[in-house]
Amino acid sequence: MTRTFKHVVLALIVVIWVLPFVALVTTSLRSEVASKTSGFWTAFTPTELGHRFGTHDRGEIEPFVTMSGNIFERLNKDSDSFEVEGDVNSILFTGRVPDPENPEKTKLIRQLIYPGEPMDVRGGDFVFESNGDFTWTFAEATAPKPKNIDAFIEQNPVFGTDAYVEVLFENKNVPNALIASFIVTIPATIIPITIAAFAAYAFAWMRFPGRDWLFVLVVSLMVVPTQLAFLPVLQGFSGIASWATSLNAWMTDCEATKTCQVASKSFASLWVTHTAFGLPLAIYLLRNYIVGLPKELLESARIDGASHLQIFTKLIIPLSVPALASFSIFQFLWVWNDLIVALYIGPADSADLVFPIRLQKQLGTFKDQLHLLNASAVISIIVPVIVFLSMQRYFIRGLLAGSVKGG
Amino acid sequence: MKFTLGTAASVLVAAASLYAAPTLADVCDTPTPLGDLGKFEGEVITIMGSMEGQDEEMLTNTVSCFEKATGAVVKYSGSRDFAALIVADLRSNNAPNIAIFPQPGLAGDMAKEGFLTPLGQESADWMAENYGAGPSWVALGTYADADGNEDFYGFAYKMDLKSLVWYSPEQFEDNGYEIPDTMEGLIALSDQMVEDGNTPWCIGVESGNATGWTATDWMEDLMLRTTSPENYDRWVSNDLPFNSPEVINAMDLYGQFSRNDDYVAGGASSVATTFFGDAPKGLFSSPASCMMHRQASFIPAFFPKKGEEVANGEADFFYFPPFEASDLGNPVLGAGTLWTMTKDSPATRAFFEFMKEASAHEAWMSQGTFLTAHTGADLNAYATPALRKQGEILSNATTFRFDASDLMPGAIGAGAFWSEMTAFANGQDTKTTADNIQSAWDAIK
Repeated sequence: MTRTFKHVVLALIVVIWVLPFVALVTTSLRSEVASKTSGFWTAFTPTELGHRFGTHDRGEIEPFVTMSGNIFERLNKDSDSFEVEGDVNSILFTGRVPDPENPEKTKLIRQLIYPGEPMDVRGGDFVFESNGDFTWTFAEATAPKPKNIDAFIEQNPVFGTDAYVEVLFENKNVPNALIASFIVTIPATIIPITIAAFAAYAFAWMRFPGRDWLFVLVVSLMVVPTQLAFLPVLQGFSGIASWATSLNAWMTDCEATKTCQVASKSFASLWVTHTAFGLPLAIYLLRNYIVGLPKELLESARIDGASHLQIFTKLIIPLSVPALASFSIFQFLWVWNDLIVALYIGPADSADLVFPIRLQKQLGTFKDQLHLLNASAVISIIVPVIVFLSMQRYFIRGLLAGSVKGG
Repeated sequence: MKFTLGTAASVLVAAASLYAAPTLADVCDTPTPLGDLGKFEGEVITIMGSMEGQDEEMLTNTVSCFEKATGAVVKYSGSRDFAALIVADLRSNNAPNIAIFPQPGLAGDMAKEGFLTPLGQESADWMAENYGAGPSWVALGTYADADGNEDFYGFAYKMDLKSLVWYSPEQFEDNGYEIPDTMEGLIALSDQMVEDGNTPWCIGVESGNATGWTATDWMEDLMLRTTSPENYDRWVSNDLPFNSPEVINAMDLYGQFSRNDDYVAGGASSVATTFFGDAPKGLFSSPASCMMHRQASFIPAFFPKKGEEVANGEADFFYFPPFEASDLGNPVLGAGTLWTMTKDSPATRAFFEFMKEASAHEAWMSQGTFLTAHTGADLNAYATPALRKQGEILSNATTFRFDASDLMPGAIGAGAFWSEMTAFANGQDTKTTADNIQSAWDAIK
């Protein structure tokens, strides 16, 4: 293979990989109408889009012979941003006119009217220019009802951060979800990695009966799917919660304030669940890394009189940073993106919902408001991207942990 | 993206003080005053349901009246995955106090497993007396427990009217169309639209893991217009098999609408993949991609301006008419959410008393999409004339029937019926569709 070919293939892969993200960001920066009616790739060049404008506001108006106005003014009257600018290409006229072939009947016509051509609107002559100015002339003074007209406008690109402002500041849902996700993710990453490091050291360097069988058991637990365990796990938590509730009632004066009830679905239950299901992989990964550390180093430490705890804290931990970091990334991303565990086991209060659940709820509410959904999605992506970029040099080294043994 | 928690927090504090619950006081200030419900200071009631977004807001506002009156704290959590979550929660001893079932089928299954607390004969009698078509609402909430004893479990609160066709009056005016009052007229109008180069219908049945329910609504409405209400009831209980001529006839009629490339915006193949909430947007797109949309009373929430169209005259609806040729009167299809007690407590019982108050109905009526059969509720409380008009359709009905798929067992009404109607939209023929649903039903008998 030539170098050029490789580069082309690589570039192609990068484009395919990055394209959805570009689409996400672009859509989140567009207006609601634009994101609904045209694809994100049309956002960068002037595009013809259909807009519906009303000739005037509802309510009483003075009879007039000629009314003049501007299509863009009518379109932009309610919006502070994403102002529609450009040229009016045409207007779609729909209406019944006398049928020339069949004098008694009328015929429906749908026709594009171009700037400068007169068209019949509620009995008056409606003429518009491509800069949006229109005049509406009647034979005698009339007060017609407002009329909504479809105009095709060659629209200039327009971007704005309204969607971000709306999801972040309109209500507290997204900021709350961000905080809740951190509350869940940080302990659910630190707890398993701590336990796993101790266990991995024991499995690698301590001799006790049944060690290998126990290790095989732990590794085989990796195949247990979380989904299978929801019911028993939930039952367990509700048992613990009711036990904690009675303990609470017995030991404290919570009954006075009616706060005895201990929730069975809480952040703590999420930490426990994520820890339990993250541990097998963590132990496996770390054990294979730690077992590959130079034997001589540990033996000389032992000869110098170091205890297991000293060896673990002074030698193993500093030497295992790449493996620890790489597992942290794994666990962090998995917990950050988790929807189903949080849905079944996590707290249900609106303020405590984690980001994936909030996004799912927005899918229900905003399914038709892609720009808002995409803005939230971009916000939720930022955190994992920061975590990944800041730790990626460990990631590659850590991925190789276990596959390439040092010695 | 420059975003720090610090800036977010400071802006939030400012935002919170700016938008301090503007409408809450008005909602609870109903024409009929709220009766005495007792005091439950600090007691927590948990409610689970499938309502999200706007409905969730209105629910929270309505419930706040109960909180104010009794001092109890109501916590609502809504999820589109309600059907899956509530089953897991009930089976693992994590029951909320109240579960709001959108489908009686699933509520019946849960009653059978013993997870629901009966509301008592007194409540059943109250509903029979105070709800329009009361006994049928009671029947909707009555299920058998594990031993086969029937009890009243489901309190219907918040109803939907389904037999509506939405359209844009301005489009009808431009095109010179008249509102049909017979099904023959509706079909003729649809043909006229096709002739004029318009597309008559917007139909979409996609709805995540509930995909297909829109199609079952069409089926039910057409069943009521092609065969007798008695046959409809026999169909619901499967005394009339799914592959009987009556049902196949209705399905074929639905096919005439939904599997006709000329009739459906985007072509018949788009029906299965169009989100039901996006389908009505075709009425308002520029240019309009369709002229009519058959959907329940809740759909304005999915219009581009969230229902403002109905208020300012851009959208209106008419009754999905019956055939002139068949003498079946004016059938109306509807549905309601069922509130069940999943964990007993004095405060929860008080909440069910709250739902009997006319005031609880008026509070929700004043906020938007909400219909009620409560005869004591003041009709003036309806937020819009459109809702009142729907109330009139409800009262002019000669036959009222509940959504059949909601009454069928969960495995059919929220399973095979949905999935097979989706397959039907994707081109599966009528006979196979009907046979498949019937064999799914045979399997659970």
